[in-house]
Amino acid sequence: MSIEKESPAPTAAPAIDARGLTKRYEDGVRRREVVSDVSVVVPQGALWVLRGPSGSGKTTLLGLLGAMVTPTRGEVIVCGEPLSRLRDHHRTRARRRLVGFVFQELALVPGMTLTENVLLPLVPEGGATNAQRAHAAALLERFGLTAFADTRIERLSGGERQRGAVARALVLSPPVLLLDEPTAHLDAARVLEVVAMLAALRDEGRTIVATTHDPRLADSASVDRVLDLADGKLVEN
Amino acid sequence: MKRQLALIGYALGALSRRRGRSAAVTAGLALVVGLFGSVLFLGDALRAEVEAGARYLPDLSVQRLVAGRPALVPTDVVGAVRGIPGVRSVNARVWGYLYVPPISANITILGATGREATLHAAMVAGRSLRAGERGACVLGAALAEAIGVEPGDEVSLSSDVGGSDATVHWLRIVGVFHDASALRTADVLITSDADARNLLGVDAGLATDLAVSLTTPDEARVASEKIALLVAGARIVDKQLLRRTYALTLDGRGGLLSAMLLPALAALLLLAWDRLTGLSEAERREIGVLKAIGWEVSEVLTARLWESLLVALGGATLGVLGAYAYVFLAQAPGLAGALYGWSALYPPLRLTPQVDAAQALALIVGVALPFVAVGLVPAWRAATLDPDHALRGGA
Repeated sequence: MSIEKESPAPTAAPAIDARGLTKRYEDGVRRREVVSDVSVVVPQGALWVLRGPSGSGKTTLLGLLGAMVTPTRGEVIVCGEPLSRLRDHHRTRARRRLVGFVFQELALVPGMTLTENVLLPLVPEGGATNAQRAHAAALLERFGLTAFADTRIERLSGGERQRGAVARALVLSPPVLLLDEPTAHLDAARVLEVVAMLAALRDEGRTIVATTHDPRLADSASVDRVLDLADGKLVEN
Repeated sequence: MKRQLALIGYALGALSRRRGRSAAVTAGLALVVGLFGSVLFLGDALRAEVEAGARYLPDLSVQRLVAGRPALVPTDVVGAVRGIPGVRSVNARVWGYLYVPPISANITILGATGREATLHAAMVAGRSLRAGERGACVLGAALAEAIGVEPGDEVSLSSDVGGSDATVHWLRIVGVFHDASALRTADVLITSDADARNLLGVDAGLATDLAVSLTTPDEARVASEKIALLVAGARIVDKQLLRRTYALTLDGRGGLLSAMLLPALAALLLLAWDRLTGLSEAERREIGVLKAIGWEVSEVLTARLWESLLVALGGATLGVLGAYAYVFLAQAPGLAGALYGWSALYPPLRLTPQVDAAQALALIVGVALPFVAVGLVPAWRAATLDPDHALRGGA
């Protein structure tokens, strides 16, 4: 099996520099602060985990760190780019280049094949070049998905889909990879595979932040740091 | 360009993934456009037939009424009519209907005046009449078929004077008109002026009507007034008025049919509104995915624009093509009767394809543009949300 090892170019700035991030949702008369004044600096080439119970704000904080969610207050700088200060158009472009995101529900498009899903981020750029297709094929091979390249998403198992989602997040070779509950619903063997995969990606120089409430991931020796979150605030650990 | 092609490819894939719904909306659009297109095409084709027929009409037809009934026109007024300023030519025509017992039908006998030469271009077999050629005729295809004759054969006709004075006339067939001119020639037999007079019993010095050609057709009203003073009991048919009357009738009938189609259009608009104002869960989620993986709002909207445009243009084009096939290949069964305005037509009218390209384009654009515009609103709402929000069903 060939191993795709494409390391992002190192820069002096931290991978993620989040300052005073707050996210508040308003629903009619109800106002709910999901993330409160969180500041965090994630260095390059680190594997960090955001841990907390359901409803603690992990997913929202992950979205804020990846500029997927617009903060009510505060700012986030990814690889030197002040994403939260950019206009939507520029922010999206910068995010596409800098951040790969893997959702808990994986967010793959049913009806499309695995390869089509992996290549989807390249459509706005005019579709995949031959080199990008080769890169996507290498990613699928790396994650043991070559046999499913032309299989529709709905016919894949949970583990296969999850590796497919990671492959899609990496197709543009972003320096930062964010994963929401990557081990949810996986058995022990699969959790070990995911931890090994994340460690390998980190070892290539990528910065990885994953949310979890799964101790099998949070307590893994491969993880560089665990941040505990409760009621939208970071808790010292 | 490359980017647009990639987005079109994505849009085609999206339509294919939702093929049931895409097909239903396309079919609905095709149906409504097809119905409206059929009325338009049929109206255009009939107007073209009217125009084609009018080409062979004189600017003015001068008939005569005596006691409210048609009577023959004395030809001694021809010189006086010709002398009216603006009148280019006057032909005293002899024509009328003759019952032919073997086919149990009336045929139209027309005495050749020279003007029919233009019709002869449509002849398919044989030749045209020569000036003053006696004992010869040219006839319509339907008539030739009914009698069972062809060029070179002879046909016998009994003059219309009745009783023992009726004589049998033998006419040699020298030509048969083409089917394309059937509406104007099917039951027509053209022979020399003298033979026509014999067959119809019209004495010399009289004519069925006068065919008046004008230098300036716009002066028809003035010329008519002067002719009315010269010909007692004149009934003057103005080609322009006849043409306008047909046009108004066809427009009126077409408008009525279009109005009857409005409920279908309203139903489709409701369907389109329902289809477009709210995105399905799968569509909203897909937009969330696209945003999440780094598509810009404009890119999402462009992809949706192509989706809507492909459906709208596909449906509208199918509708126009369907209308063309329905009107010109199938001859508009069901709709033709409503627009023709007659219950039975002999000979059968084969419509010649007549399509106003601008009108067809306007129909396509008129349906496609609002469809696309309405479709962009919910997509824009979903695409401007945070990807995370859109993915969770916030749109």
